[in-house]
Amino acid sequence: MAIVGPSGCGKSTILNMIGGLVTPTLGTVEVDGRPVDGVPRGVGYVFQKDTVFPWRTVRRNIALGLEYRGLPAAEQERRVAEAVRLAGLEGFEDAYPATLSGGMRQRVALMRTLVVEPEIVLMDEPFGALDTHTKLDLQAELLRLWDARRQTVVFITHDLSEAITLADRIIVMTRRPGRIKMIYDVKLPRPRDVIAVRETSEYLREFGEIWHVLGEEFRSKGASTAPGSNEDA
Amino acid sequence: MSMRTERVRVLVWQLAILVVLLGAWEWLTGIKTVSRTPGLYWVDPFFISRPSAIVQRFAYLMSDQVRLSLWEMALSTVQSTLWGFVVGVSTGFVAGLVLGRHDRLARIFQPYIVAFNSLPRIALVPLITMIFGFGLAAKVVLAWTIVFFIVFFNTFQGARSVDADLIHSARFLGASERQIMRTVVIPSTLAWTFASLTPSISFALIGVVVGEFLGGESGGGLGYLIIQSLGTLNAADMMVALLTLGVIGIVMAVGIRQVERRLLCWRPEYRGRA
Repeated sequence: MAIVGPSGCGKSTILNMIGGLVTPTLGTVEVDGRPVDGVPRGVGYVFQKDTVFPWRTVRRNIALGLEYRGLPAAEQERRVAEAVRLAGLEGFEDAYPATLSGGMRQRVALMRTLVVEPEIVLMDEPFGALDTHTKLDLQAELLRLWDARRQTVVFITHDLSEAITLADRIIVMTRRPGRIKMIYDVKLPRPRDVIAVRETSEYLREFGEIWHVLGEEFRSKGASTAPGSNEDA
Repeated sequence: MSMRTERVRVLVWQLAILVVLLGAWEWLTGIKTVSRTPGLYWVDPFFISRPSAIVQRFAYLMSDQVRLSLWEMALSTVQSTLWGFVVGVSTGFVAGLVLGRHDRLARIFQPYIVAFNSLPRIALVPLITMIFGFGLAAKVVLAWTIVFFIVFFNTFQGARSVDADLIHSARFLGASERQIMRTVVIPSTLAWTFASLTPSISFALIGVVVGEFLGGESGGGLGYLIIQSLGTLNAADMMVALLTLGVIGIVMAVGIRQVERRLLCWRPEYRGRA
């Protein structure tokens, strides 16, 4: 599932409420029928910002979640090796993040989250800071990884093509104050190829439909970009 | 031009300056003024001594002809400095970490810390001497009162500026509060703490020498040698003590740099130089 919408409409806030980082002003958020109070179990989070620990090597970054859970060293090693292979990070296991590119660091962050096998993965514009090429690369990667395990992924993006490429369902939000404007089911067949899918007429048709709705929001925005709209940070 | 020839060139210049300075010192303190008054110099070695005299005194102070050799004094100074450093750094680090992570405690202790830190530490010397006597303890305590605050303030800043998103990520990966402390807060704070270690060792040395000024012979140390030389108006001995202190300061600072490089090898600025 992907959430798209104009800046400052509260996309990140929704994610942070699911993740228990922000308490809703009204109402409660439930994950798996349990109200959220603090960081819920079984939920992973990939931030837009680089949150790889700079003082740990790639291997030890990916192992973090396993370490916290106190898994035996042999098991940790096995799963980290597997994750490294899946992410194509072989040969960089003992490198410190400072020596890696932004794309590789985000790959480490992604694998670090997935290696503990969360049932729900929250992603807040995880590829937002990357160049187009790296972004496509990581989208393909994510699709491949997701296909193997089919976890629930809540993916925030302002890039509509990214949302259509990845998601089964897209939530379009209105501008501030953010409300849900539309829930759209993407019918593109899987497995999808991130490049080829964009050339299909089905993709173009769906893109056009959502773009039209999203466009209304951007157009009516005008000069209303309120100061202090920092939720989207 | 390669790095190597550049390094050699810099070294040659540094040596040349040293030779010129020492030569000028030796030469200028050797010229007498054209005057009938005997022993009047253009630059009087009485005050600044001469390199040749310093070397002589150095050899003499190192020998076993003296009751307390230069070796023993240097050792005493180094020992007190390291103790003050270790005690100051460890307590400062723990205090900085605790207050840095607990806002209320930080607010409660803030005025006390500011007040104590604005007190000139030298003013404490007589009191510390009164309480701890003339030996090792007094010197260590004095060094501690200075080092503690340097390390404390740095660690405090570091502990406060830990990236909240790193803590969130750890939490999402299932970390307990303890694990967050160990794997996020402490490593991220250490970089700040390390930045305070080089000044800390210098200040520890200052504290110890000041303590030795007052400490008398039982405290030993190079500070004692300096005060003793003042009593006998012996500039050469003073120079010996100063040069030895300089060497000690450099060696300790270099040692700390090495440890820092090893432990902070993940930072790009230390890459490939460890």
